[in-house]
Amino acid sequence: MSTEARTLALQSCRHCGAGAPVDVHFCPQCERILTLARHGDYFIFFGLPRKLTIDLEDLERRFRSLSRQFHPDYFYTASAAERIASLERASYLNDAYRVLKQPLDRAEYLLKVEGLPGVGRHQDASELPAGVLEEVFALNEELDEVRAAREAGVPAEQVQARLEAARRPVEERAARQEAQLEALFQRWDKQVDEEAPPDVRRATLESLRGLLQERSYIANLIAATDRERGEA
Amino acid sequence: MSKVVGIDLGTTNSLVAFVGREGPFVIRDGSGDALLPSVVSVDAGDVVYVGREAQRRLLTDPNRSVYSVKRFMGRGAGDVAAEAGHFPFALGGSGSGVVRIGLGGREFTPPEISAFILRELKRRAEAYFAGQGEFDPEVDRAVITVPAYFNDAQRTATRDAGRIAGLEVLRIINEPTAASLAYGLDRRRTGVIAVYDFGGGTFDISILRVEDGVFQVLSTNGDTHLGGDDIDRLLVGMVVSEAGLGEAADAARLQAIRQAVIQAKWDLSERDETEIVVADPGPAAPGGWLFRRRLGRDEFERLVRPVVDRTLGPCRLALADAGLEASAIDEVVLVGGSTRIPLVRRLVQEMFGRPPHDDLNPDEVVALGAAIQAHIMVSGSRDMLLLDVTPLSLGIETMGGAMSKIILRNSTIPASGTEMFTTFVDNQTAVDIHVLQGERELVADNRSLARFKLRGIPPMPAGLPRIQVRFQIDANGILSVSARELRTSVEQTIEVKPSYGLTDEEVERMLLESFEHAETDVEARFLIEARNEAETVLRATEKSLRNPDLEAAKADLAPGELAAIESALADLRSSMGSPDRAVIEAKTKALNDVTLHLAEVMMNRGVRAALTGRSVDGV
Repeated sequence: MSTEARTLALQSCRHCGAGAPVDVHFCPQCERILTLARHGDYFIFFGLPRKLTIDLEDLERRFRSLSRQFHPDYFYTASAAERIASLERASYLNDAYRVLKQPLDRAEYLLKVEGLPGVGRHQDASELPAGVLEEVFALNEELDEVRAAREAGVPAEQVQARLEAARRPVEERAARQEAQLEALFQRWDKQVDEEAPPDVRRATLESLRGLLQERSYIANLIAATDRERGEA
Repeated sequence: MSKVVGIDLGTTNSLVAFVGREGPFVIRDGSGDALLPSVVSVDAGDVVYVGREAQRRLLTDPNRSVYSVKRFMGRGAGDVAAEAGHFPFALGGSGSGVVRIGLGGREFTPPEISAFILRELKRRAEAYFAGQGEFDPEVDRAVITVPAYFNDAQRTATRDAGRIAGLEVLRIINEPTAASLAYGLDRRRTGVIAVYDFGGGTFDISILRVEDGVFQVLSTNGDTHLGGDDIDRLLVGMVVSEAGLGEAADAARLQAIRQAVIQAKWDLSERDETEIVVADPGPAAPGGWLFRRRLGRDEFERLVRPVVDRTLGPCRLALADAGLEASAIDEVVLVGGSTRIPLVRRLVQEMFGRPPHDDLNPDEVVALGAAIQAHIMVSGSRDMLLLDVTPLSLGIETMGGAMSKIILRNSTIPASGTEMFTTFVDNQTAVDIHVLQGERELVADNRSLARFKLRGIPPMPAGLPRIQVRFQIDANGILSVSARELRTSVEQTIEVKPSYGLTDEEVERMLLESFEHAETDVEARFLIEARNEAETVLRATEKSLRNPDLEAAKADLAPGELAAIESALADLRSSMGSPDRAVIEAKTKALNDVTLHLAEVMMNRGVRAALTGRSVDGV
């Protein structure tokens, strides 16, 4: 993974032809900005290990420092090729910053670069573990009943109270998920540090993916309850 | 070397600034004016006037004079139909096409009208550099500012205007961000700033973090159709109804009323009460008053409060998008002429819980920032860097008329996004893509930016091609699109049909046509300068006569002195239309001379009033 990728000279300078490691942005020989042809991933681009816990202040410092190196404002008088390279690198930097800044986006991105299938937004409920599935069905049923009650003219306070009650177990689950997520982040980071075997790391990523699926499902449910509350 | 300037192309006024050895400064015209009124007028002989002369022609030739053209930049004819009634000039164009503005026998697009303003600023700057004995006074490149909340079409229209005016537009930057650059020069280097920019026609709020000289915009929000114009319109409506004008409110009278209420609005930023005085421009009562009325600040504030309140919603949204509470804002900066209104200042202070900064002139700060940005780009200086965001989400139309977002609002630019497409029938070689900008779920509620046709897809069974479309928003906030089929690596041809813009060919043609336009000759320009000078003296005198302190000052004036002033004033006003420059100059001098003593009296009273507030020891 990242350690191997880093040692290979994967980029080549379009200007002087010199080779360059994948995690540098300027040609080691002629010092011109490199075209963004081959690049590693967002982590490598930022010079960060492929870990899930990120020091946000450090990320921002790196972001500002890289912005100062690439921004198109500073390449106005350069050659056309360098201007394009600057635009591409600055875009990639901004996109990377946006993703790495948010823990969930960061985790989903890690799954992607590690070759796991994406976390669907409207995925099949059958993929969820049985306990979650039951809760989901129960809440959906309750939401339907509440909707019917509201339309039948049941007073708003009663509707609100039912919604509150229905929401509580889901919120508790969401809180548990946050804690699980945190634990998985730490497990992954430790495995990276210890260079754990690929199958062990893969198992962690599978758990992470399952949890993210669940989380997105639960988040949708909470949003649905909120909408219903707004209606009531 | 040719010069690179910063331009604030405003709804009401435009300015040009430059960074010299001593830092940034605004370039003034021959009579010392920094502001160029954003008004363009074309006379019967096809001669084009820009600025104060065009502003005067709003009264004499309202149907051939355009103001607030910025409101129409990048918009479709259908969009502005509802507003057309508010303007004396003809707004047209076919349904979905770009707006056309009729002036006399010709039609102009908003970028062409704006180009007249830009060319005048270019000329002003070149005259200044020539006067400084510069070896190469030519101005061929500029940074131009736009409201942060301008969409892609409005930004593109602004860039087109620059090209039509013969300027290479180095960068389009956002007005609030430009203002923060100007403020950042000598301020503390770390903190969170809110820039509240309330101009003639647009409102913007931007929240920035400044650290190590990097000005990073966290969020922006605004309303591209909210500004001082809306306040003026309320006041005009009040006068028209109180004067019982109705049908009699022809274009020239409406302009006279508009100018009078603007004057009253300005007065009320300095004092508690003023008088709206409308001189009748019509032939029926030459020199007579059409309308007079006292207006107190309280009444004014009650009237305009709803307009000012509309700025607060975007402020809250910007804070929410930045993930900050109002208390997290370290500094608040005011930009735009409408922030001179005391009510605006009060509400901003309440909103952010701290007094706003106003040490720089709110009219000039944006142009200064644009000049600084121009300097950054050509000088190689890396002291400062602006990192701006795209104000609106960018997306495409998906099945069922929904919008699928590809680049979210408040993403730092440049930014990019990719989307995969495929085909629905066998051997399909083209795919239609509709690009949108906005935050709503449905296509119909968002802004249509362009329709693209991807052509040249290699014939394959349905669903097999994998066409990757890449959307790139550059540092100007302007979109470009490229596409390739991944299986064959074939680059696709993209035909761009901007929904409300000009094609490259149209811009080229307009650039050529602009050279054919009659320019005002040297003698005409001298005449215009004489009128500008006369107007400055007229305005200053009228302002003194409306000053509530005048009553008390009468004791210090000689008998008949006021009558002499009134007569010289009327004399000059009636000769403003004269084609003889010498007559205007003579009468300007006469009015100036006869008011010297009054000016002295008023100034002494002002000084005495200021001093009486202090202890004797302190004086």
